[in-house]
Amino acid sequence: MTSVGSSQAGRARRARGIPKQVRLTPVYVALVLLALVSVVPFLWMLATSFKHGSDVYTKVPNLLPMDRKTGEWSPTLENYEHVLQLGGLGRAFLNSVWVCLVLVPVKLLIDALAAYAFARIPFPGRDKLFVVLLAGMMVPTITLLVPRIHVTQELGMFDSGWGLIIPNVASVLDIFLLRQFFMSLPGELEEAALIDGAGRMQIFWRIIVPLSKPVLAVVTITSFIFHWNDLVWPLVVLNDPELYTLPLALQQLASTESGRAYYIMAGAALAVIPVIIVLMIFQRRIMEGIAFTGLKT
Amino acid sequence: MDRLTGSPPAGGEITTATPVPVDRPTATPEPGRRRRPGVRWRDRVTAWLLIAPALVYFVVFLLYPALAALYYSFTDWNLRTTPDWVGFANYADLLFDDVKYPHFWQSVRVSLQYTIIAVPLTLMAALAQALLLNTIRRGANVFRLLLFLPVVTAEAAVGAIWRWLYDPQYGLINTVIGLVGIPRQNWLNTPELVIPALSFIAAWQCGISMIIYLAGLKGIPSSIREAAIVDGAGPVQRFWRIVVPMLRPTTFYLTVTGVIAALQVFGLVYVIFSGGGNRSVTGGPEQSGLTYVLHLYLYAFRYDAMGAACAMSFILLVFIMIITALQFKFIKQEAS
Repeated sequence: MTSVGSSQAGRARRARGIPKQVRLTPVYVALVLLALVSVVPFLWMLATSFKHGSDVYTKVPNLLPMDRKTGEWSPTLENYEHVLQLGGLGRAFLNSVWVCLVLVPVKLLIDALAAYAFARIPFPGRDKLFVVLLAGMMVPTITLLVPRIHVTQELGMFDSGWGLIIPNVASVLDIFLLRQFFMSLPGELEEAALIDGAGRMQIFWRIIVPLSKPVLAVVTITSFIFHWNDLVWPLVVLNDPELYTLPLALQQLASTESGRAYYIMAGAALAVIPVIIVLMIFQRRIMEGIAFTGLKT
Repeated sequence: MDRLTGSPPAGGEITTATPVPVDRPTATPEPGRRRRPGVRWRDRVTAWLLIAPALVYFVVFLLYPALAALYYSFTDWNLRTTPDWVGFANYADLLFDDVKYPHFWQSVRVSLQYTIIAVPLTLMAALAQALLLNTIRRGANVFRLLLFLPVVTAEAAVGAIWRWLYDPQYGLINTVIGLVGIPRQNWLNTPELVIPALSFIAAWQCGISMIIYLAGLKGIPSSIREAAIVDGAGPVQRFWRIVVPMLRPTTFYLTVTGVIAALQVFGLVYVIFSGGGNRSVTGGPEQSGLTYVLHLYLYAFRYDAMGAACAMSFILLVFIMIITALQFKFIKQEAS
């Protein structure tokens, strides 16, 4: 028995009775298993995408790009070459890059400016107007889909690049998040700037934006991931295969080449890898950002 | 009040030791509320200008479509004709005419089945992952990242990957279950297996719920846990007596959002059941994967019945509102 000063924590530790490393072993085993369930589909995708067509359909699935006869390491890039050129995924990849490059910054600007006004500039009816906006967020996207297509047609943007961008160019959810953050910033700097005669726009760029970098980053990256991955809107607004975004072209490839898993998996890898890289770079903050806002706009 | 907190009530009087003009408090939550009338007027113009783009978007792509959808739901319409007012005919036909809409109730059934299986499965997977992650320090970031990857994957890719995993002859799933002696299944072509197969994909993508559960677990004071250990409560007891009750608000939130999302599942089933050449999407074998929104999509964009599709979307909207209200009522009763 230990000394008289034995604390509660000490007793608790003895109650467990087992050293920490041993106690945690089953936890790590379970986590490794779960992580495998999570990751193996991606590894399987990658392996298939690097296999020669003749090595894909084997009785025992091979998690590495091996030759089916000799069992030797024999990866190939020909599936990627095929889908990028003949499959049209190269063009689709560039289309997706373009849409994100234009859409994400413009949307961020529109949302941030509106959020700034809602958070910081008093005007009559402001808060009521904001409640109306929030109410609009409750309507499921699918309810809006058909009339949105009609509006897009009426505006002459159906089946065009603009039709991918303009109907997505603002987000009530993002305005809401940015407004919450702007409201939490202390007012002194702004007040001092106002007394010194700074305009509202100067305040926005010189004070609000530098102080809000974390939340601006979260909104930018979630918005990028959402639009990079979005299938439904491009599916309904586009007819012209030249304009297809990556998810749509992948979907098309998957249905025309359904017997050739190696092509489809190369296409899927092209869609998945950029997002995984972004997630790895911005890890923690982004995961929490996505978790609490949902991956939607 | 501390003038550095910056959160006094809006427009409130703040006394301050700093020598500034009396009519200008140094710390207001919204700078400029008490500025001169000329400036205030300019502020209003600025505010409206800043909001204008978002407001135009809101009116054109949210408010108008919502109202238009309601109007169209009472009409016979496709994108090329002028809407023809038919009153409640769309709603009545959807609900009662199984010749005109033979698969409407099937789609309701599929979505409900999917919701009932996928949501609890997802929450259980998420809670298990969160509990495990919460007990470790070393490597927690890596595991969290790996478990989160499926969330950020495009549904077109998720569909493609899982069709390949579920492949009856060469798929990895059949190999893995073969290891424990379960016979090969034709997952996506057997009506009874379609919903479980889709639900498993949903559970695979449980990362968002996992992160939220993790935050909930971090919110449980460690003193409670320590006290329970001192009192001799084992891990199982601690789980049921402390963790589950303390996480109830989190579980409630995740259930509500999960049900709303599950009722609207579309992209994934569209991808999964649209393969096999250019055959049209039908929602899997015997419509066993024909979810409500896939059915809606088909009527809107394949069968050119926009009016009926809008009616379906409003039935869904009302259903979601009722479910949400019921769930909140339930939680209120429990709280009181």
